[in-house]
Amino acid sequence: MTKTISRRDFLKLGAAGAGALALGQMLPAKVAQAARAAGHINAEGDGFVHSMCEMCVWRCGLIAKIKDGRVVKLDGNPEHPHSRGNLCPRGQSGLMNTYDPDRVLTPLIRVGKRGEGKFRQASWEEALDLVASKMTEIKNKYGAEAMVFSSTHNLSQPLFENLLYGFGSPNYGTQRSLCFNAMIVANTMTYGMEEPGRIYDDKLKYILLTGRNLLEAISTSETHDLIMAIENGAKVVYLDPRYTKTASKATEWLPIKPGNDLAFHLALLNIIIGEKLYNRSFVEKNTVGFDELKKEVARYTPEWAAPLTGIPAETIIRIAHELAEAAPHALVHNGWRTSNFVNSFHTQRAISIMNALLGNWNKVLVAAAGEESGALGAPPQPAYPRISALRLDGVPWKYPVVPFKIGVFQELRDNIVSGDPYQAHGWFISRQNPIQSLPDRGKTIEAFGKLDFIVTVDIVLNDTAWFSDVVLPEASYLERYDPLLPVGDKVFLRQPVIEPQGEAKSALWIYKQLGERLGLGDYFQYEDEEDYIRQQLKPLGVSLEEVKAQGFAELSSAEGEAEFSWNTPSGKIELFSDTLAKVGFPGVPTWEEPPQPAEGQFYLLTGKIATSTQFGTQNNQLLHKYSEEPRLWMNTKTATDLGLETDDWVEVTSEVGQIHTKLLATQAIRPDCVYMTPGYGHLSKGLKTAYGVGASDSAVHVTYTDPISGGQALSQTFVTVKKA
Amino acid sequence: MTEIKHHAYLFDATRCIDCRACMVACSVENNIEMDKTRLWVAGLGVTGTFPDLQRGTMVYHCMHCEHPDCMSACPVGAYTKAEDGPVTYNPDLCIGCRYCMNACPFGVPHFDYDKGIIDGAFIDKCTFCPQRIYNGEEPACVHTCPTDALEYGDRDELIAKAHERIAAHPDKYIQHVYGEKENGGTSYLIISHVPFKDLGLPELPEEPINEVSEKVMEMTIPFAFGWGTVLSMVAIAAGKHNQKKEAEAEKQAEETK
Ligand code: SF4
Ligand code: SF4
Ligand code: SF4
Ligand code: SF4
Repeated sequence: MTKTISRRDFLKLGAAGAGALALGQMLPAKVAQAARAAGHINAEGDGFVHSMCEMCVWRCGLIAKIKDGRVVKLDGNPEHPHSRGNLCPRGQSGLMNTYDPDRVLTPLIRVGKRGEGKFRQASWEEALDLVASKMTEIKNKYGAEAMVFSSTHNLSQPLFENLLYGFGSPNYGTQRSLCFNAMIVANTMTYGMEEPGRIYDDKLKYILLTGRNLLEAISTSETHDLIMAIENGAKVVYLDPRYTKTASKATEWLPIKPGNDLAFHLALLNIIIGEKLYNRSFVEKNTVGFDELKKEVARYTPEWAAPLTGIPAETIIRIAHELAEAAPHALVHNGWRTSNFVNSFHTQRAISIMNALLGNWNKVLVAAAGEESGALGAPPQPAYPRISALRLDGVPWKYPVVPFKIGVFQELRDNIVSGDPYQAHGWFISRQNPIQSLPDRGKTIEAFGKLDFIVTVDIVLNDTAWFSDVVLPEASYLERYDPLLPVGDKVFLRQPVIEPQGEAKSALWIYKQLGERLGLGDYFQYEDEEDYIRQQLKPLGVSLEEVKAQGFAELSSAEGEAEFSWNTPSGKIELFSDTLAKVGFPGVPTWEEPPQPAEGQFYLLTGKIATSTQFGTQNNQLLHKYSEEPRLWMNTKTATDLGLETDDWVEVTSEVGQIHTKLLATQAIRPDCVYMTPGYGHLSKGLKTAYGVGASDSAVHVTYTDPISGGQALSQTFVTVKKA
Repeated sequence: MTEIKHHAYLFDATRCIDCRACMVACSVENNIEMDKTRLWVAGLGVTGTFPDLQRGTMVYHCMHCEHPDCMSACPVGAYTKAEDGPVTYNPDLCIGCRYCMNACPFGVPHFDYDKGIIDGAFIDKCTFCPQRIYNGEEPACVHTCPTDALEYGDRDELIAKAHERIAAHPDKYIQHVYGEKENGGTSYLIISHVPFKDLGLPELPEEPINEVSEKVMEMTIPFAFGWGTVLSMVAIAAGKHNQKKEAEAEKQAEETK
């Protein structure tokens, strides 16, 4: 047994000697040359640099304070619409990610057995040559499709896509199916866009949140909006089996039975349509398929939904009436991590449709500005080679309506294990941690065992890097450039506020270097990071220097008031979807009975906390400092019946795994559920702060995929709990 | 921001989501060691029986009292009350007697038990971020708060704002601004939807304690300890977690065998 760090060691790490500074004593200070050249930082190494947070995907604008060449503080940028001057706890702690003593600062090549954690340092030259030769070997022997690529939700993703599609592989893993496939696919089928934007103005009267724990799963500006809407008197109804912090601020909390959100929403539709409470002129003008919808929901009465949801029929009826009363200033929020049960797609469709019936378009919901902007330039590049191999994740041959760039990640893993329809041999992973993110961790490690070669790009030795053959050290978000991000009528810049530490490099550099070694140089026609951004800015007529100075550039909003139509086959909001019907799925939201735990089993719930983002921030010492110890929540009465008390060690067992963790007996959860904070229980001993803290939810999560949206049903795992 | 004659904070418990951004911000801004903090979460947390539940927590740091008990108790004059609000502490004068810890009705000053006398700096507490407020910036904790649960401004203006807000929502707020009068007034003002004692706040007379008598002085000690036990949430998790780490690591390692 390796000894993990003791409390003393930990304090030393943090305090780092007599000066007792909390941060950044471990590595030499370096001012970013670019920031100095741009005049942000004076000769003494002091100044302010505008950039963007990457502690979660919300990407708040930040202003980094530099002192003696070191980042000493991050504050929110008041001009950025996502931060409005604030940063959440993760954003505040961001410099500790950069100054994490566990950073990987040179390329590493494995020398021990996989998972043993033995690596040697290597030069970039050697590491990149090795990666390119292994990838080429796999391509020559088994075809390009035998290389799997995965990366998600980051600004360098277009270049990652160049690497994978240029290489010729169809196998693209994103983690979206572990999160919000149900919502995205439902909105795409209904509105022709992934997620409409939401307006919180002072007219907003009613907000129905279905498990959207906006006060703990923070998106800084929207979290602020919700608190202010509550203060302005909006009624907030919140469905969640747990009494979260959002539940505590809501006007009404409904501890619904897991898996039955669909029944609740179908019953709402039943009343709104049955009692003709919908916005008739809006529906007539802007939607198709009302009659099919009406016919289907006629059978979903509140009396039918009551025993399923545990919510009295009168309450459901009242909420429907209140919604209609408040319309169009009523929001039925789609939620975020929404793939909870295999029926979640229908739940999301019902929610999207309800908004249309309330006629809240352009009052509450608006067309979302995508992350791609036609106004920006890009380096020239050739078309991708034709790829004829099937995708291992079943898109579209098993999941016909799931978009390619979203995919079904858990199915990809399963088919690496099964070798069906063909065997994969290599995996290129960038800024992702499938060992922690995918359900059924044991199976993911089994999939790794099937592969000849695994390479991971990250800033620390996360669990996936720990099991890899080569680890390429990326520069942290405070140390690098990324492609520009359009938000509203501006484009925002991420720029280095300090030089990368050690040998760390940006993704733009890593992908280009690798691309050139693979003969794909034409897909990476930029000299360096700055040149890439200059090419993006070219059509705007703005210089990089100007953007660097204020952190953003204005986009001309010359679009005008063109007649709006939805990007669906009919050009309207589709209450009935022909696309779905054609591939054999119900065209309107339809009830599907969710599975239930057997006697003696519990629903296993997970859900975010304010001080972590998925499984990527537990090693941040500042967040660790202010996070509560992760424990398994169980209703106090249930715990008493089982003879369990707070802080007892318990054994939690599902179909696929077992974990040990401590218990927290609390009133704040339904008696038939238990809850775990996700993202703990790391395997990598390279994460000295996170290692040994808490248990892993992915070790017990069972893989269940929604057949329509491809979403992993994250709350459909049932467990037994007993004293360890 | 208008001119600030008397620096003060307003904390609104109905807005606070216990996210702890303020705590992280303070740690970074002021280079606080990993096992220390200047802000805590206090309050009873979740109370009631499923499904009839309520939650009351607050974030607090030094109240910057108008008549600071810490200062009265300190035998060497290490504390100073600035005319414009902040109560500051000078580590160079401190002799480590810990009188201030016992005197403070809010249990704010913390003693550094890990250090010997010659290492200096025994006590730590919130300084009101002078490096920021005297340069036109909000204190770090206030500046980052995503819900504006923490606000900063002139004491009189904040008192007026607090009264306006509680009067506008009589069903929601307890009709009282804590700190306006308590203990002779504080510069950290609090409004709430749950009784102040459920947030862990002591009931204090309007007259400043340190200007009453020895008897009351003694009375403050139980308050300080009472507060300590009400302090529900783990304030500094670091130490606590790490004592458990080895045991947990072993458990996890066994599972992955
Ligand atoms: S919400 Fe928090 S973590 Fe996410 S980008 Fe904003 S500050 Fe960073
Ligand atoms: S930052 Fe604001 S909302 Fe978050 S804990 Fe602090 S006071 Fe509360
Ligand atoms: S809260 Fe305590 S430490 Fe702060 S000024 Fe008042 S008495 Fe002094
Ligand atoms: S005012 Fe400054 S020192 Fe005091 S708690 Fe806030 S951030 Fe910390």
